Amino acid sequence: MLKVSNIRKQFNETLVLDNASFSVKKSDIVGLAGPSGGGKSTLLRCIQKLDTPDSGSIECNGRVGFMFQDFQLFPHLTVLENLTYAPSLKEKKQNHLQHAHDMLKNLGIASKANTYPRHLSGGQKQRVALARSLMIKPDILLCDEPTSGLDVATTTDVVTLLESVCEMGVTMVIASHDLDFLTKISDRIILLNGGKIVVDIQPQQLDDPVDYLKKYY
Amino acid sequence: MEKLTYSIIYVGTGIAITLKLLLGGMCISIFLGLLMSVLRYNGIGRCFINSIISVIRGTPVILQLSFIYFTIPGIFGVKLTAISAGVIAFGLNSSAYVAEILRAGIESIPKGQFEAAQTLEISMVPMWRDIILPQVVRNILPAMVGEVIALLKETALIATIGGMDLMRRSQTLAAERFEYFLPLCVAGAYYYCMGLFIEFIGRKIERSEKYAKGI
Repeated sequence: MLKVSNIRKQFNETLVLDNASFSVKKSDIVGLAGPSGGGKSTLLRCIQKLDTPDSGSIECNGRVGFMFQDFQLFPHLTVLENLTYAPSLKEKKQNHLQHAHDMLKNLGIASKANTYPRHLSGGQKQRVALARSLMIKPDILLCDEPTSGLDVATTTDVVTLLESVCEMGVTMVIASHDLDFLTKISDRIILLNGGKIVVDIQPQQLDDPVDYLKKYY
Repeated sequence: MEKLTYSIIYVGTGIAITLKLLLGGMCISIFLGLLMSVLRYNGIGRCFINSIISVIRGTPVILQLSFIYFTIPGIFGVKLTAISAGVIAFGLNSSAYVAEILRAGIESIPKGQFEAAQTLEISMVPMWRDIILPQVVRNILPAMVGEVIALLKETALIATIGGMDLMRRSQTLAAERFEYFLPLCVAGAYYYCMGLFIEFIGRKIERSEKYAKGI
C-alpha cells in the first residue's frame, strides 16, 4: 500500500530523516514513535507531499488523507461546511451532505453540524478534523499527533474512533509521542530517532512494549 | 447664510466627480492589488511586481497623475480625459498599497490552512476564493477602510489637471469671490462627512454576522 525507500531530508544543517525505509500493508495501523525532533512529522509530511524529500522515493497506492496536529479546520466555515466543501467541488453536494451528517452522527457530534470551529472543544475539533479527512475517502490516513493536548478520556475515545476508521478498511500511519496510545492502537510500531528507524516491532508480541521502546529514546 | 447655501450647492456639485474617481480608483486598486499579491505569493513575477510597487510607493501621486494625463496620450495616441487619467492614476497608486495590505493579510494566515486545503485536494482557485481570501478580508478590513479614505482624499489632486471635483469647485468659487474661508471649509466638510460614512460602513461590516462568524 505504501512503500518508503531511503528517504533523506535535511533542513539547513539538521538531518531530519536519514535513509528511512519501511512499507505498510493494506488496512494496517502503523504507529510512528520517537522523541521530539525524531522525524515523525517530517516523514508524514513527505508522504503527503507537503515536504519534498532530498532523496529516496515514496510509492503510494491510493488517495492519502491527512489529519493535522493542530487540526487546521477552516475557521470561517461551519463544521458541516468544513466537511462538505472539498468533496462538493468534485461531485454533487447532496450526497456529501448526507454522508457528512452520517459521519458526524457516528462521531457523536451531530449537534455541532452548524457550529463554527472556535466554539468546539479540543476533542470535538479532533473529531471534526478526522471526519473531514475521511470525507475525501482516503485509502491511507496519516495522523500527526492525534492525541496531543487531549485528556485521558478523550484519548480513549480517539483510540476507539481510529479503530473504527481502520475497520472501514483505511490504512493508517499515526505519529505520536504517546507510547501508551500507540501500543493500544497499532499493529506495528516504528521508532524514529535522529531521523533513523531504530525499532520496528509488533507490540502484541511483547510483554511490555512501552518499556521496550523507551530503551531506544 | 446665502453665501453658505451657495457654497454648499456649488461645491457639492463636484461630489459626482469625486465619487467617480473614488469608485473607479477602488475597482482598479482592488483588482490590481489582489492580482499582484496572489501572483507574488505564488512566486509569479515577484521581482517585477516588487519593482512596480516600489516605484509607485516611492513617487508622488501628483507626478503619477501628471505622467498619465500628459504623457500617455503622446505615447499611445489615446486622448484621456482628466477623470479617466485620475481613475487610472489613483487606482494604480492605491493598488500598490492594497497589494501590501493584502500581503500582510495573506501572511497572517497560518501555513497550515494552505496545507489543509492541499491535503483535501482543493485546487488553487477555490482555495484562494473560498478558504484563504475570506480569512484575509477579515484581517485586513480596518486597514482597507483606511486606504479607501486615503484614496478619497487623494482624489482632490484631480484639481491640478482641471477635473471639477469638490476641491476644484471650492478653489474656483474662492477665486471668483476672493474669499477662501467658506468654500474651503465646505469642501473640507464634504470630504470629512464622506470619510465618516466610509468609516461607518467599515464598522457595519466588521460588526455584521457574516464578517464576525468563525474567528
